[in-house]
Amino acid sequence: MKQFSKSILIALSFFYVSISHADLVIIVHPSNPLTEISVDDVQKMYLGKKKTFPDGKKAIPGDQPTGTESRRLFSDRIIGRSEAKLKSYWSRLIFTGKGMPPEVIGRDVVIKKWVAQQPQAMGFIMRSEVDDSVKVLNLKLSTSW
Amino acid sequence: MKQISSILVIAAILSPLNLIAGDIKLSGFATIAGGFTAGKSQVLEGYDDKPSADKSSLFGIQASSELGKGWSATTQFLARGVDSWKLDTEWAFLSYEVTDNWRLLFGRQRAPFYIYSDFLDVSYAYHWIKPPSGVYSLVFDVFDGIGSVYNSSIGKLDSTLHVTYGRNRDPAIHLGLEENLEFSNFFAASWSISHKWLTLRSSYSRTNLTVPVTPMQSLYDGWRATPYQDVADKLEALNDLADYAGLGITFDSKNYLLVAEITRVQPGNNILPDQDSFYVSVGKHFGPVLFHFTYGEDENVADRSILSSVPQNTGTPLDELVMGTQEAFAMVEDKSAFYTFGVRWEMGESTALKAEFTRYNNKRDSANNASLLQMALTTVF
Repeated sequence: MKQFSKSILIALSFFYVSISHADLVIIVHPSNPLTEISVDDVQKMYLGKKKTFPDGKKAIPGDQPTGTESRRLFSDRIIGRSEAKLKSYWSRLIFTGKGMPPEVIGRDVVIKKWVAQQPQAMGFIMRSEVDDSVKVLNLKLSTSW
Repeated sequence: MKQISSILVIAAILSPLNLIAGDIKLSGFATIAGGFTAGKSQVLEGYDDKPSADKSSLFGIQASSELGKGWSATTQFLARGVDSWKLDTEWAFLSYEVTDNWRLLFGRQRAPFYIYSDFLDVSYAYHWIKPPSGVYSLVFDVFDGIGSVYNSSIGKLDSTLHVTYGRNRDPAIHLGLEENLEFSNFFAASWSISHKWLTLRSSYSRTNLTVPVTPMQSLYDGWRATPYQDVADKLEALNDLADYAGLGITFDSKNYLLVAEITRVQPGNNILPDQDSFYVSVGKHFGPVLFHFTYGEDENVADRSILSSVPQNTGTPLDELVMGTQEAFAMVEDKSAFYTFGVRWEMGESTALKAEFTRYNNKRDSANNASLLQMALTTVF
């Protein structure tokens, strides 16, 4: 039994996203009262499944154009899907009138400026680009399946 | 009805207010597909042994527009190679967001029969060139009416409940002939729950159906001239109550893919056969390339008990009717299996190249066996 559950754990860990968010950070407007957010919530907000921050306030997630290092890290490490799979996911919703993907705002510098001016905004940039015009949210890992 | 609702939605999208605001969102998708079968007498999915490139090719444009106060209008135009690229309104509906989680749809929309129903024409959104035709076999897939999509969370699970009600009176090709089909009091519902990469889905539908089968008309008339008129009434698919049920599972992780669906169609007590179908599809990603394998079976069984009240071998003209009816049963019955090997290659962000080999084995008549090779380029824009 022990052996069995161990092998299940190993099997599950294969499907699990290994998140090293050292280089990429989630940013919000400095007036946002949140200090942390779970990977689960970030995924739901960027996949159109959740339209509010964990505290219930309306959220407007902003996206980066494909091809940037931040976008690649974000898709891969946080959303857990390749950029192509993400595109395919959204094409399922767009062509049924069920939803539109987060608006593409721009690269790190542009999205940082946008978040700094927009109290409901949320974005992602490389840690090296962070300054005090925006607030960094600590990422909590999801702990259970 | 179809015309009116389409025109209303298109008018809403093109209203002067929107032209000024300029907030019409256009999205599009296209599939260029071609293929050929391995032998002279082999026909599969509309392909024969001469390579052709317009059977599954299609081009779609979707326009959607926010009208304010939670209302939006969406219309999708589709041109298919198989219809000589004639532009048609695939759907057109007004949608109203009651809350963040609840949306109502009014107009012409897709019925939620299968996992891939909602985006059946957007080949880019799934791994095959087209979903398996054994399961994806209902003769209609859009309806005019009302739909409700409700999203919620149950603990860690995401739940989506899609309920629809309406009707469809479009002429359609059935058993090779264009017929005036009618589906009224059409109800369909699907419920899916998902967590991470796993989604379970169930769907159910019930409708009154009228399906004229022109070649059977003489048979119906024949029975009506005998004391066994009830046989004709039973054979004829006239306002009969039909049921559909389906179950599906999707596991779609970064590296692996598993999709399976099982469906049952019970068209009521008439000449139309009960249909049982399933497929299981597995795949593995290697970077931008996905290799996949699918196996499925389909069985159509006619309700032969319709003849149980009729005496056999009477030596009268009745025998001929019995024989003709049995032939008709045999004609609509079928049993087959298929497997498909396929590959999907991401060529950049929104285009995929696909190739598939399908082997189809008909267990009733091996003369219908066929092998098919297909290629497709699919894109969204």
